[in-house]
Amino acid sequence: MEIASMRSLRALAASLLLGLAASAAHALPSYARQTGSECAACHVGGFGPQLTPYGMKFKIGGYADTDGKDGKVPLSAMMVANWTRTAKDAADGDKIKHFGSNDNAAMQEASLFLAGRLADNLGTFVQATWSGVDRKSALDQADLRYARTLQFGDKESTVGLSLNSNPTLTDPLNTLGQWRFPYTASDFNAGFGPSPLVESLASGVVGANAYVFFDNHLYAEAGLYNTLSKTTLDRINADDPGKFKGVGKYWRLAYLVDRKRDNFSVGLSGFDANLQPDRTDLGTGDKYRDLGIDAAYQFLGNREHIFTVNASYMKEWQTLDYTAGKLGEADKRGGSLDQLRVAASYHYLQTWGLTAGYFDSRGNRDATRNSSSLNGKPNTSGYILQADWTPWGKEGSWGAPWANVRLGLQYTGYERFMGGAHFLDADGNERRARDNNTTMLFMWMSI
Amino acid sequence: MTSRTHIIAAALCMGAVFAAPQAWAVGDAGKGRNVFAEECGDCHSPVAGTNKKGPSLHGVIGRKAGSVADFSGYSDAMRQSGIEWTPDRLDVYLTLPRKTVVGGKMKYDGLPDAAARADVIAYLMSLK
Repeated sequence: MEIASMRSLRALAASLLLGLAASAAHALPSYARQTGSECAACHVGGFGPQLTPYGMKFKIGGYADTDGKDGKVPLSAMMVANWTRTAKDAADGDKIKHFGSNDNAAMQEASLFLAGRLADNLGTFVQATWSGVDRKSALDQADLRYARTLQFGDKESTVGLSLNSNPTLTDPLNTLGQWRFPYTASDFNAGFGPSPLVESLASGVVGANAYVFFDNHLYAEAGLYNTLSKTTLDRINADDPGKFKGVGKYWRLAYLVDRKRDNFSVGLSGFDANLQPDRTDLGTGDKYRDLGIDAAYQFLGNREHIFTVNASYMKEWQTLDYTAGKLGEADKRGGSLDQLRVAASYHYLQTWGLTAGYFDSRGNRDATRNSSSLNGKPNTSGYILQADWTPWGKEGSWGAPWANVRLGLQYTGYERFMGGAHFLDADGNERRARDNNTTMLFMWMSI
Repeated sequence: MTSRTHIIAAALCMGAVFAAPQAWAVGDAGKGRNVFAEECGDCHSPVAGTNKKGPSLHGVIGRKAGSVADFSGYSDAMRQSGIEWTPDRLDVYLTLPRKTVVGGKMKYDGLPDAAARADVIAYLMSLK
């Protein structure tokens, strides 16, 4: 196996095991300039990405709604800077190049967006990011949409097509991988446990999706995904997830009830793919089948006190014919993963926010695959607490609709990491899960 | 006609005006502010000159439909509706907007609660 391919395999494995976020999720003033609406109309707390029903409909409508005025430029920029302290210094083998073993300050990402209406019914969300931690640029996210409103009898529906780079990027709710809490996390954080494949493919795939939002209630979406060629991945500086055998199949069903004062949704989602991790050794792949259920509730009221709850559970079935059967890097061909995520938030005056989240990922025992685990399991669980301040983003705010900022403090506490209360770090030394507890101060700006 | 007769006639006329049946009931502007925030505020501002996806609703009472000069998002149907926004017309419109202005752009299913409509209309009337 070539070194590059081994790196790809390890990058995917790290992503699958640690649940590392691809990047911060987003709040874009170019959409506010386009629609004339303040950030708080589309986003809970006056800052992205947690969408209100109004924001969901803007997205479903293809990012193309306007206030009717011409001359809007669909460009935005964003920057996330943070300072991170971990309970115990990182092991030498876990240190990130260019940074110390603790107390790291970083301009974690600076992004440019092509985000907004390109023509009637046609809009985009495309993000290119420079990572101040990885010290490289990459095409982070891409979603090009065409949507139309149709009348079925006396029921109105929006139907759309999306060409995109990430299976959950297209979802309008706040419960699936790309769009759920935490909306920003430190690159120095140890991650939130193993993730299903559907959440580990960002920028490494291209998908063609079709969706319908029927009568403001039923959302249905289906998409076919293929992995990008190595040449394309190198051009956009994306990690190589390997090569699909056939195509990856994504689907989503959700039912939303919007009562204006409050709203709720329940949903199902799924993804199937046969992934060949090593492009130089095609033929046998690892099969992944993901099935998830999710639910959400928002109390918006007159926007003075806003409460939200988002929850998701996903089960993944794995058949590791390549990794176990051919490569010998897993003990068993059959594997499984259970991922639970819950977050509840309160925002006062669309300015002051408190959010508490819980994460719990459990997988089967496999000592070879989970070599840093003392019991062979990758189980990781803990909680995230965040307090934030968003001074702008409301109607009449200073700098609207050009500038917005969120300042926040986030704490991640670990109950278990890679199996239990103790695990092995990259140097092979035993480390407590709580040694990974992380405090992050962050400043998140967008224009 | 004596002056006493004039006074009686005037009183009868005023009484007739106030007794005239109206679809719209007087609401509570304070409650209407909350209804506005919940139902209307994403697309409309109560501030004069602030247009969003929909036009500012400051001073909407007595205004001709489709007439906010610096708002560009009106449908042809709204511009040509000939509506002047009285409380009664607003009450009918807010009940089922798409039936009142067929072909209008406003993506709003309507406010079936008559008391809530009365409150938000009272709030709109208070915006001066």
